[in-house]
Amino acid sequence: MIVLDKIRKVFNQGMPNELVAVHGAALDLGSARFIVLKGPSGSGKTTLLSIVGCMTRPTSGRIILDSREISGLPERFLTKIRRETFGFIFQQFNLIRGVTALENVMVPAYPRGEKYSLLRDRAMALLELFNISRKAASRAEWLSGGEAQRVVIARALINNPSIIIADEPTAHLDTGLSHEFMEIMGRLHQEGKMIIIASHDPIVYESGLADMLVGMRDGRIESVRDLA
Amino acid sequence: MSLMVWIEKQRNLIDFVLSSLLRRKGKNFALIAAYILIVFVLASVMFLTHALKREASIVLRGAPEIIVQKMTAGRHDLIPKTYARQIEKIAGVSSAKTRLWGYYYDPLFKANYTLIVPELFKYEEGGIAVGEGVTRAGVTAEGNIMPFFSSDGKLMNYRIREVLPADSELVSSDLVVMSEADFRGLFGIPEGLVTDLAVSVGNPQEVLTIANKIKQQYPDTRPVIRDEIIRTYDAIFDWRSGILLVIFSGALLAFIIFSWDKASGLSAEERREIGILKATGWETSDVILMKFWEGLAISLTSFLVGLLLAYIHVFFTSATLFEPVLKGWAVLYPSFRIVPFISAYQIAVLFFLTVVPYTTATIIPSWSAATVDPDLVMRT
Amino acid sequence: MILHPAIIALLAGSALVAFMLLYSSWYGIEVIRKWDLRSGSELQLSLEKKTYLISTMMAYAMGFQLISLFLFVYTADSLCSLFTGAMCAAGTLNVNDFGYPVFLLKLVNFLFGGLWLVLNYTDNRAYDYPMIRKKYFFLIALMPLVLAEVFLQARYFFGLEAEIITSCCGSLFSSSDRSAAPGIFALPVRLSTGIFYGWHIFVLGLGVFFYKTGKGAYFFGIASLLLFFISGWALIQFISLYIYELPTHHCPFCMLKQEYGHVGYLYYISALAGCVAGTGVGMLQRFRHIASLEAVIPGIQKRLTIVSVTCYLFFMLAATYAMVFSGFRL
Ligand SMILES: Nc1ncnc2c1ncn2[C@@H]1O[C@H](COP(=O)(O)OP(=O)(O)OP(=O)(O)O)[C@@H](O)[C@H]1O
Ligand SMILES: [Mg+2]
Repeated sequence: MIVLDKIRKVFNQGMPNELVAVHGAALDLGSARFIVLKGPSGSGKTTLLSIVGCMTRPTSGRIILDSREISGLPERFLTKIRRETFGFIFQQFNLIRGVTALENVMVPAYPRGEKYSLLRDRAMALLELFNISRKAASRAEWLSGGEAQRVVIARALINNPSIIIADEPTAHLDTGLSHEFMEIMGRLHQEGKMIIIASHDPIVYESGLADMLVGMRDGRIESVRDLA
Repeated sequence: MSLMVWIEKQRNLIDFVLSSLLRRKGKNFALIAAYILIVFVLASVMFLTHALKREASIVLRGAPEIIVQKMTAGRHDLIPKTYARQIEKIAGVSSAKTRLWGYYYDPLFKANYTLIVPELFKYEEGGIAVGEGVTRAGVTAEGNIMPFFSSDGKLMNYRIREVLPADSELVSSDLVVMSEADFRGLFGIPEGLVTDLAVSVGNPQEVLTIANKIKQQYPDTRPVIRDEIIRTYDAIFDWRSGILLVIFSGALLAFIIFSWDKASGLSAEERREIGILKATGWETSDVILMKFWEGLAISLTSFLVGLLLAYIHVFFTSATLFEPVLKGWAVLYPSFRIVPFISAYQIAVLFFLTVVPYTTATIIPSWSAATVDPDLVMRT
Repeated sequence: MILHPAIIALLAGSALVAFMLLYSSWYGIEVIRKWDLRSGSELQLSLEKKTYLISTMMAYAMGFQLISLFLFVYTADSLCSLFTGAMCAAGTLNVNDFGYPVFLLKLVNFLFGGLWLVLNYTDNRAYDYPMIRKKYFFLIALMPLVLAEVFLQARYFFGLEAEIITSCCGSLFSSSDRSAAPGIFALPVRLSTGIFYGWHIFVLGLGVFFYKTGKGAYFFGIASLLLFFISGWALIQFISLYIYELPTHHCPFCMLKQEYGHVGYLYYISALAGCVAGTGVGMLQRFRHIASLEAVIPGIQKRLTIVSVTCYLFFMLAATYAMVFSGFRL
């Protein structure tokens, strides 16, 4: 369960180029929902997602995750929560170049100190789940767009998160791959994971999978539509 | 966190660091090369001076406690044999021996030899024993005739009866051993005079007192105490290597600035990579830890390679590269072989001179790399 | 001054450590003045990032400090041939008035630095940095000591002139009146052996008791701090005799030499580590009531207790070994 309370995020505070990216956003995101965040470019979607995903701390306001307030936590603890709760899928694939697909999937789990062979098996199982285990030994830069997309999803799942956050995931995919991506998201949602996607791609918000549609404009939440 | 988890974590990080370093071979090559060079130079200086110090102290260990020289007009002069008999009577002196020795410059081969007369010379007049260096310099061998020019310009021929084995090369390689009569003949030293006296003392505590007594009894002499020589040697060698260090400290500084620059000039690719790591669940201290292992891997590799190269340089090629600076001996020495010696202390000093500055130079850059904001990757 | 590579290394190393501490203290002041965890302002975020830098620097500085302690003693030892009358580090340190103060400062700074790291480690386990101001005050208080060490060390090395006549361990550490610390020898050996073993066993007992019940942390802390001094004293007064197998040689430095298998390092390191860990237990007890640390501190204290007890036990066993297998009998 995630609740946002008067979240504000200011960049370059106190300077002439001060910019308020999010204005007092208040929102109950509930739990295990499929949420799509939409809005024009620069409206603050990415900023809000990174705050929800514990990547950035809000300038003020509170975030409550599973009835625990996490907004004031230092980075050390935020990271731990982020690692255990969230899986991220970025607009760019953001795979590490020169490293194999398999290792790319494993990297997020390294600091947890899991035994290497166990971790490897889990990563392999995830690649198999998305039918790309044959590409496990390929370097990231050799993968096709579709393959990279699936490696990225596998990476987001390596720490077994309960919430998946995706920022413009279909921006670099063709229609076919975008549909495939949404289908995988639907499957994960059915398995009980919460999905939060920011996008202005109609394939995403018209897919019929979302049960909550949040509209943003100029850093403010403009509309919240419950489709459930 | 349990110990096993901690160990696994370090293993995973080290794995990742090594593979990243291999991926960026090109970028790290220059750094590691510079690092190796610095360690190599410093280690060579230290190995060489240390070895020379040891060599000198081994040589001096056999030397008499006090050497008595006669001084005339402030210069070292020949000393009458009669002094020895008087000095031997001083309480505490166990013996006072006369010594005949000197240097000879060979104009033919442009080499300096050390000539000595032993107490007992086993070959008859006209026969000499020479060190290995002499045979090398004079391109000669046992059984050959060796020409010398006497003090009055006459040509003297001696036959080489023996080539002395190299034990501690620093002394014996330029050595020419001859009989007393030949020595006096060669240099025209009258009977009754010798080069100096070697006084041995029973109780080491009394050395200073006895030296003072000799000085009182014969004000025209200068007693030289062995420990003083050792001390001077030590100081000179330390001083020489210190001077070299100061000269090289410019290079060291350049290297430190270079590593700082290298570490802080994070490429866009690396920044992105650290951003990805942080976005997907790494914490700042994990990245700092990774950077620690990275620095350690670089330091260790360079340190060991530099050390190994210096070891080979000093002990197998006789420090060819800076012989002129440190030794400045005669032409005899190019093939002077030093007995290999290395100690934990030298390594600790080297570590302090190289790894510590390097590490310090990289702390701030690695920290600023590690504090890249994770949301950076969401915007590129 | 003597231009020796190790001296250059030590001076440079100390300068670096001092620089790191100055830098950390500078930001420490900023943290003390402006820290506000509730705020998500950019200033606060950047201060939080700075704490990572300070922790890292202090950890490195402590590592260097430990190496420099031993390098310092070893250098003093290797320089002794330059000074008439010096046979080991004891004599070289005595060449001028700064040698022994530097040595003691190095020990003290290591102990304090170690405690700082314990404090920092603990504070970082809590979600609200409860001790942030305290630990930075501590850091700033440490500053003068470290600067004093750097300054005195420079004075010491610059004041080294070959040919100075000094007195060495033979007279400095002897039971005669000329000894540097005559008090050390005031007690009969039998009694001090008793105190040495008694106090060791007492501390080990307190450690086990604390580990089992969680009680008596202060006692354990203070007792293990005292044990450090008692161990040092015992090392000079009688353990040394067994190591050297000589009836009058009490030097705490000769045992670092190769002739004695560098056995001194074992004693030094185990006593230093035992003291930092043990005193750390007592120090943390003061912060046990802080809400965010309540769950954290007992675990850390237990681990520190294990380290401390192990190190001191090791010290005691090493001393016993030396006494039993020595050819020397008192
Ligand atoms: N680090 C930063 N410093 C200054 N301004 C920033 C920073 N990050 C974001 N902004 C600004 O905050 C505003 C909101 O940005 P954000 O990326 O959240 O928008 P968005 O809705 O995701 O847009 P898009 O659809 O183009 O991705 C923008 O005007 C952006 O320029
Ligand atoms: Mg965006």
